[in-house]
Amino acid sequence: MPLLSVKGLTKRFGGLLAVNRLDLSIEAGEILGLIGPNGAGKTTVFNVINGFYPADEGEIEFEGTSISRLKPDAICKKGIARAFQIVKPFGDMTVLDNTIVGALARTGDLKKAAREALDVLDSVGLWDKKDVLARSLTIADRKRLELARALATKPKLLLLDEVMAGLNPKEVEETVALVRKIRESGVTIFLIEHVMQAVMNLSERIVVLHHGSKIMEGRPQEVANDERVIKAYLGEEYTFARSS
Amino acid sequence: MIAKTRDHSSGTFRNLITTQKAQKGDERGIAGNVRITSHNATPKLSLYLPALFVIVLACIPVLTKNPVFLQIMILIMWYAYLTCSWNIVGGFAGQLSFAHPAFAGLGAYVSTLLFMYCGLTPWLGMLVGGLFAVLIVITIGYPCFKLRGAYFAITSIALAEVLRIAVENTDELFGIKIGGPMGLLVPLRGHSPLYMQFTTKEHYYYVILAMMLFGLFVTHRITKSKMGYYLAAIRNDVDAALALGVNVTKYRLLAAAISAFLAALGGTFYAQFVLYIHPSGIMGQYLAFELVFIAIVGGRGTFIGPLLGAFTLVPLSELSRIYLGGGYSGVHLLVYGFLVMLVILFMPRGLSAPAENIYLALERRLRPAWALERGDTDAAAKR
Repeated sequence: MPLLSVKGLTKRFGGLLAVNRLDLSIEAGEILGLIGPNGAGKTTVFNVINGFYPADEGEIEFEGTSISRLKPDAICKKGIARAFQIVKPFGDMTVLDNTIVGALARTGDLKKAAREALDVLDSVGLWDKKDVLARSLTIADRKRLELARALATKPKLLLLDEVMAGLNPKEVEETVALVRKIRESGVTIFLIEHVMQAVMNLSERIVVLHHGSKIMEGRPQEVANDERVIKAYLGEEYTFARSS
Repeated sequence: MIAKTRDHSSGTFRNLITTQKAQKGDERGIAGNVRITSHNATPKLSLYLPALFVIVLACIPVLTKNPVFLQIMILIMWYAYLTCSWNIVGGFAGQLSFAHPAFAGLGAYVSTLLFMYCGLTPWLGMLVGGLFAVLIVITIGYPCFKLRGAYFAITSIALAEVLRIAVENTDELFGIKIGGPMGLLVPLRGHSPLYMQFTTKEHYYYVILAMMLFGLFVTHRITKSKMGYYLAAIRNDVDAALALGVNVTKYRLLAAAISAFLAALGGTFYAQFVLYIHPSGIMGQYLAFELVFIAIVGGRGTFIGPLLGAFTLVPLSELSRIYLGGGYSGVHLLVYGFLVMLVILFMPRGLSAPAENIYLALERRLRPAWALERGDTDAAAKR
């Protein structure tokens, strides 16, 4: 049984078909990448899985039970956490307090939550900044904080929405190593990423989305060499120029 | 057994949180041995200062019987108490509410009517008034909490105004005389503590002092609890809070219910103190503005803000009322407005920011003396 399975997911915004009958599944322990050109509907997929938008059609099952009609907070309690593409730090709280909020999803005990939060901050490399107000962090640290908060909720499945965007090559490398480490600790990872080096490196399987529909699914190498994928990313002319 | 460990741990944790800020500076120096808790340093100052504050306040009526002074002190504490209650929703949960006159008014009217018609003592009547306020929050607040920002504020104004106008236009309801715009005179019982009526100011002073301390205690407990963390998260970013498992509606409602309940108790005190209530007095938007001003000047969303704001603004308003006389009755509001403008421009966190700095400086001063007697290695400190 897959950890998460999405069947026939459709989401419309007025006349715009953002996600069109998407099927996908993630096995426990896997790293699945979701790529596609801008506006392909990737973040919308996360928003629906996450409970921010109701699905218009289709079914989402997590560990065998439907989560299609649950609210985001209930979905978090089920074990799906998310790092937002547009980071949403709690600006007037310290980094530690931000992370404690995440940890409180699993415990009512503040002391326990603080210990867990400190552990997480240590593992993402934010220990030194734990007393800094979140709004004064750099973008790289904000992305780390996004990750730390999500991890603190002890997820089984972690949705990472472009956590590498805006990072320099060294930071990307660090984040790739961090994501591997998180996976090794037993967390399944579903990531949206534009930094190809990272997504090719990390993912065991990649799903390619274009205009809301899945056009391809496979191993990173297969995806990178697929005609349809190249066309979606670079346009008809490029494939034509390359073949001639 | 579980309960015991929990209790113990949350106690230590509180130190952990409060000391972090102060210790940020020196912990860096200790290579590889980060200390985040100190068992003795902060609790002393954070225990002594409030204790001193309470003792000074408690002694004032012993030292002076000047009714004008006591009257001003009572008003200061009444406003501090009401702002405390407002702060739970308006500050911690970050929802600008103008509905508090409705809750205070409900408290005043319900307890007074119960007193007049059933002979129920306001001590119990105030609880009934509080429950009415909670009921309003649950029925009307629930849909309102779906609204964000200015829309919520406007709806809260509507709630208070609708109630005020309804009461102003109702002389009698189911045979119960409400008094319309004329309001109600609270039946006099002379000096009867049982009915929350006293002939001297000192007694009222102690009642409102106790209420204010209770209000501060409640807000303190909230800030140091899961609810406090969750409200802060909601205030900062609703979507992020949701994604982290925070039941936003539940915590907002809880905050609003506690806040409304406390405000209603304040309304009952007002009725028993002034012994006359009328809709535009206790239910008017005027009161809401005052609470918001006090909170902003003192520091919205901070524990100490309502206290600082009330102790600054209420004396100003009272003194301008006394010295500028009836002819210039709006002057203190001008002063309020001017001060709020200054504070928003130059002190976005209100008076609580400089107050906190003074507190931390004081603590730094005192720490070397205490450092000797403290043996603070803590297991929570990793690495």
